[in-house]
Amino acid sequence: MPPFLFSHRSRRFLAVSVAACLGAAVLIWTLWPWLPMGKDSRPRTLVLYGFSILEPTITKTLFPAFREKWRAETGEDVELISSFAGSGTVTNQLIMGVPAEIAIFSTELDARRLLEAGVVSGETWKRLPHGGVINRTPFVIVTRPGNPKGIHDFSDLTKPGVGIIHPDPLTSGAANWSILAEYGAAMTRPGATPADGQALLLGIWRNVVSLAGSGRAARTQFDSGFGDVLITYEQDGLAQGSREGPAHELIYPRSTIMSEHTLVVIDRNITGEQQALIQAFIDFIWSEEGQRLFVACGFRSVNVSLNGYNPEFGEIQVPLLVSDFGGWNRAKQEIIDEVWKNKVLKEINR
Amino acid sequence: MNSELTYGKGMSRLLPAGFLVLVMLPLLLLPLASVFIYALKGGLGDFAAALITKDALFALRFSLLIALATAAVNTVLGAYAAYVLSKTRFPGREQLGIVLNLPVAIPNVVVGTSLLLLWGPIGLFGELLAPLGIQPMFTPIAVLLAHIFVTLPYMVGAVRPVLDDLETSYEEAAYTLGASRWQTFLHVVFPAMRGGLITGALLTFAHSLGEFGATVMVSGNLRLRTQTAPLYIYTQFESGNIATANAVAAVLAILSFLLFSIIIGMASRSRARRARS
Repeated sequence: MPPFLFSHRSRRFLAVSVAACLGAAVLIWTLWPWLPMGKDSRPRTLVLYGFSILEPTITKTLFPAFREKWRAETGEDVELISSFAGSGTVTNQLIMGVPAEIAIFSTELDARRLLEAGVVSGETWKRLPHGGVINRTPFVIVTRPGNPKGIHDFSDLTKPGVGIIHPDPLTSGAANWSILAEYGAAMTRPGATPADGQALLLGIWRNVVSLAGSGRAARTQFDSGFGDVLITYEQDGLAQGSREGPAHELIYPRSTIMSEHTLVVIDRNITGEQQALIQAFIDFIWSEEGQRLFVACGFRSVNVSLNGYNPEFGEIQVPLLVSDFGGWNRAKQEIIDEVWKNKVLKEINR
Repeated sequence: MNSELTYGKGMSRLLPAGFLVLVMLPLLLLPLASVFIYALKGGLGDFAAALITKDALFALRFSLLIALATAAVNTVLGAYAAYVLSKTRFPGREQLGIVLNLPVAIPNVVVGTSLLLLWGPIGLFGELLAPLGIQPMFTPIAVLLAHIFVTLPYMVGAVRPVLDDLETSYEEAAYTLGASRWQTFLHVVFPAMRGGLITGALLTFAHSLGEFGATVMVSGNLRLRTQTAPLYIYTQFESGNIATANAVAAVLAILSFLLFSIIIGMASRSRARRARS
């Protein structure tokens, strides 16, 4: 090899040119989709914000099925633009003005907050099928394999030494449902008084070792090995196969709440040409096909006759609905705020 | 050269470095290694498959694009700020310099929320822009604004010391020889700044690539629209897709390693040059 190749100067020249070529390659790759020749025809989009655990169900199952249907009917391609976080976080984002066309909340409470902030003009979700509720799922207890702490009901969670991973009621819908489930579990015992409900809440919350921002974040913490027990949606517990992480056991309490998830159409973000698409998506969600897909993904359908299709659903002796507590407005005021926030939390922080 | 020998000969010379590695092992090296271990757990095929999904590719491209734009804007803005702070005298100069450095210390989340409160629908500018149908938050513009805010101190920090060290006598000489202010800048000040500018641009680029706290507040975290690579990693990790999250994290780690190799290489070259002159 000629000796000049080894000279200090040409070696530097080589290094600089290699770096420059690499830089140029990265630059072209980065800009490619925005360059005229790299631009594929931009498909239509549907912008959806949803609560955390809904993500795989919507992005991997429900939306792809809708997309096929829409393509077959109109020949048009639709792309889903979506974001998932704790239900309360999603609500805050909507109030700050994210361009969502459809929002799906874990609890109707968050839909009401949108109403108070003026994002929607009225209780528009009530005009949708089933009052805007797209599906349900009971709250269950998840333990480590073999249930080493011997947990069989919410009352067992008060035992000393049980570390509970709980989502945070400030940002998570799942957390609000969990509190109703815990309180309700005590109240459905014969002869129970509100003091019993408060006592059970206090016992459970003394054992909470971590507050996670969303149901999904709580699950991730639990899967990373923290805590002995996780309180979560049955759907999230059943969906273990799709997640990496250690095996666990699902415990069905004697009594628990069936969460109901509310869909809200954000009318002010929907332009005229989008209306037909949004309506078609909403129709699909409550169609038998859409509801069957929810059941296949572990959610319980609002069309109760379809729930037999998923053999994994467990039995709950005393299922509760938020209507048993007088609706979300009352439940929020009387249980979440009055009992949990003003009494239980204060007692623990003392 | 001599300083390297003062530690002694043979094995004892490696002792300080060995101790440093030992200390850094649990702090930095093993956590970093676990990124690669988890990314490659399923083999190279899975690693590649995790990277070529539409979402991952978009997130990486979007991050690079934003980093590029941030570096471009801050090269001009940061250089100007450094020039003004270093070469002009005005009341409150020191205080302004401190304020410009604040983004390093305040949590990036606060940067994000403050941008939201200014430009969002209830904010001062937001209320003015809303009737015009302009909503900058939750768009790529919002991400760019946040990154400019957060990375500006790194640009100023890279350029200002160079200018402070540049003796005014050179500039005075240029003026005496009849050069205009602009000519002086172009032929005297700018060549001296060049090294600092490139270092600052690369630092800005690297910080923008990894920015999370402010981005998560202002981007809306929309896949295929405003989701940067760090947001994608976070979302994937939260969904339990640890391998996917780490595959993208590994790419970012490699990019950062390359960037900082260039930055450190340049810094030591310019130090050597200064020592020679």
